[in-house]
Amino acid sequence: MWQLVLLKNLLKGPATEAFPFGEATTPAAYRGRVAFDPSACTACRTCQYVCAAGAIHFEERPDGLRFTLWHNSCVFCGMCQHYCVAKAIHLTTDWHLSHEQARKYEMVEEGWVPFRPCLQCGELMLPATPPLMRLAYRGDSKEIEALRHLCPKCRQTRAAGRNS
Amino acid sequence: MTTTYKLPVGPLHVALEEPMYFKIDVQGETIAGLDITAGHVHRGIEYLTMNRNFIQNITLLERVCSLCSNSHPTTFCMALEQIAGIDIPPRAEFLRVIADETKRVSSNLFNVAILAHIVGFDTLFMHVMETREIMQDVKETIFGNRMDLAANCIGGVRFDLDTERKSYLGAQIDRVIPLVGKIHKLYLTDRTILSRARGVGVLSKSDALELALVGPVARGSGVEYDVRKKAPYAAYDQLDFEVVTGSDGDVWSRALVRIQEAEVALDLLRQCLQKMPEGPICASLLPEVPAGEAIAKSEAPRGELIYYLRTNGSDRPARLKWRVPSYMNWSALPLMMKGNKIGDIPMIVNSIDPCISCTER
Repeated sequence: MWQLVLLKNLLKGPATEAFPFGEATTPAAYRGRVAFDPSACTACRTCQYVCAAGAIHFEERPDGLRFTLWHNSCVFCGMCQHYCVAKAIHLTTDWHLSHEQARKYEMVEEGWVPFRPCLQCGELMLPATPPLMRLAYRGDSKEIEALRHLCPKCRQTRAAGRNS
Repeated sequence: MTTTYKLPVGPLHVALEEPMYFKIDVQGETIAGLDITAGHVHRGIEYLTMNRNFIQNITLLERVCSLCSNSHPTTFCMALEQIAGIDIPPRAEFLRVIADETKRVSSNLFNVAILAHIVGFDTLFMHVMETREIMQDVKETIFGNRMDLAANCIGGVRFDLDTERKSYLGAQIDRVIPLVGKIHKLYLTDRTILSRARGVGVLSKSDALELALVGPVARGSGVEYDVRKKAPYAAYDQLDFEVVTGSDGDVWSRALVRIQEAEVALDLLRQCLQKMPEGPICASLLPEVPAGEAIAKSEAPRGELIYYLRTNGSDRPARLKWRVPSYMNWSALPLMMKGNKIGDIPMIVNSIDPCISCTER
């Protein structure tokens, strides 16, 4: 019976993919290199909290936050992506992560999340992203967009002024 | 005149490339006794879990073992959900079964492939591995990785099956079922397999009960114990399946139980695709876990996996302990080996499908 299998295999040729001489199939769900989008990040740091490998690091500076993810620590579990409400972090299908030992410190994903001045008082703060504002206020309007550029204090003052 | 001497086997490369050290008492070619020395891959994971929050632990526990990697986080999440009083959505229950059974097919086929490899029948080894590769592709396509599925989160699952993925999974199951059927027939009838596996490493039903063995090792000796039936979790109470048992209690019997269980697992996958309801896949994103303790158990590919979790209201476990199936099954080896020949040692060790990284974590 196994002779039949053998014959079939001989006729069919190798069952393996021909990589690197041919294309290797990569499914869309593949968890590979991590991509970070600083424009969507609200620096809630949930990704850092859920990262089992300790691969994610936020460094707070006077004018913003520096995001760093070490691919050599990352275990590609995708928890950061799952828990990121702002959808600022996701795993791409890029699995080309082999590199020379000398380049090990370059295997990082970095991002700069700048603070912006409050439109009212000028204090530096991190504005919420439009998707998050839509989530919080369940809608979209010019008023909501204006609130986005105010620091929490000025937002309070404005809301109180409107109600009185 | 026969001489008695001690034969060291291991700590590396007996059947699988994992370290376990055996000191075997041999009389001539016959095994008289066995001494096992463990602890070569102890990593202190139980302690590590106490220094990480629950969500980090889901990822960490998935890496306790590679072949039953999905059973660990699933059971851990079950314990957490018990303490937090979370009922996972019905769709998530089915998706958890899909993740578990996909892993079971791969794990069982891997073990029977290794059996062929030990026999020296590498053509069959490659053939079984080629079939298993289809399930590996399923894992990569649906979950994003060949071994670590990352399927679980507290309160449900992290992956969903849309129409496209459902039909993909269905098509792959249809591809694998006839191939596993052929493998089943090969292991039933092939002369080489029969001559090496039949009547080797026999363990009686009473011994299996006495030693409280679990999984395919117990079922190969006729013990009808399966957590999925005895204490159904996830969606197993809504699925139709029989517990597979063997009667001979030898290496061959255990291999056949594994092949048949792979067939049952494929059928369960098919049932899940039909019966799975629509709806949410996760109950809540970041639930609070109060102080409490819980025990959860599941049927991993190697048998009953038990988790004990104690929490103190913080975001870390106060104590987490698990008993893996292999831990129980090691104790069967001295009984199985006695009276067999030296050449049968790898066959018998492989037949309990030992997971050393699980046992020693």
